[in-house]
Amino acid sequence: MSAAVAVFAVSCIREPSTGAETLQRERQLNQFLAEVERRALRIAEIGIRDRDEALDLVQDAMIKLVRNYGKRAEEEWAPLFYRILQNGIRDWHRRQKVRNRVMVWFSRSASSDEGYDAVAQAPDPAGRAPDEELVNSEAMQGLEIALQALPARQREAFMLRTFEGLDVAATAVAMGCSEGSVKTHYSRAIHALRNKLGEHRQ
Amino acid sequence: MNEPGENDVKDLQQDEQFAERAKQLFDGSVERLDAATLSRLNHGRQKALEELRGAAPHGQWLRWIPVTGVAAAVLVTVMVMRGPNGVDVPLQPATATDLEILLDEDSLEMLEDLEFYSWLEASDLDTNGNVG
Repeated sequence: MSAAVAVFAVSCIREPSTGAETLQRERQLNQFLAEVERRALRIAEIGIRDRDEALDLVQDAMIKLVRNYGKRAEEEWAPLFYRILQNGIRDWHRRQKVRNRVMVWFSRSASSDEGYDAVAQAPDPAGRAPDEELVNSEAMQGLEIALQALPARQREAFMLRTFEGLDVAATAVAMGCSEGSVKTHYSRAIHALRNKLGEHRQ
Repeated sequence: MNEPGENDVKDLQQDEQFAERAKQLFDGSVERLDAATLSRLNHGRQKALEELRGAAPHGQWLRWIPVTGVAAAVLVTVMVMRGPNGVDVPLQPATATDLEILLDEDSLEMLEDLEFYSWLEASDLDTNGNVG
């Protein structure tokens, strides 16, 4: 009898604290996502060259993080979030390839649409940026084009390490590869970018 | 002992300077995001947080997504195997990979376009591949 009372008492005490924990977790997740969402969007946008699609990918990554990993330790969220996002970007490219193949199969004339002109497709910074930011905006445009020309894994390593500031271990989790691979991809990426942009970026 | 040479140190310093400059440019581009985009990000975040509250409206119809996905994939299989002119063609290995991707639950957007592909298939294709 006394045991049953004790269990009831404990359950009465724990009930409100569970709600408080959920609220606290929601606040933490909201803060984390608010901090990361803008950079994540730009990283996704550079990866797939389409803002609307990038917004969808970021929202999808946020939902999956909350749904599947919301209860994990807070310090695990960043690498997990970027792992979901990078997987989303890779899936997006795979679907694009299939879509293109299907379109070509149905209509051979579609070949005239193939080939991506990075310069023509790059966002025009002059429309939004104030004059004093024009130089930086154009430099960023050049950097984006150079990043898009990199192999996907090198681009991922560079953006996660440099733009998001993940360390090697977290980047390895996000990319789903070894720390050694991260170092190799990053090193190749930064040298390729320096060779391409080094003289023009100053 | 392999001590890093003077050139290696200089190279590393240049890497760091380059990365720093790239980060500055990136952060600037993040700051320039327009209000409409920020609003959409905020909306997406709130939608994600609904998952935590368990209030995400998973309608009954969502249960049918895998079924409709498989049905659509079967339709594509038949269309691909029949060929553009209704001639039976052997299934290529690459096609099997395509179907695997199509069956992926994340490929719903692709499946939504099937109506368009069906329309294309139903249209007459002349010898140049133009829709007639």
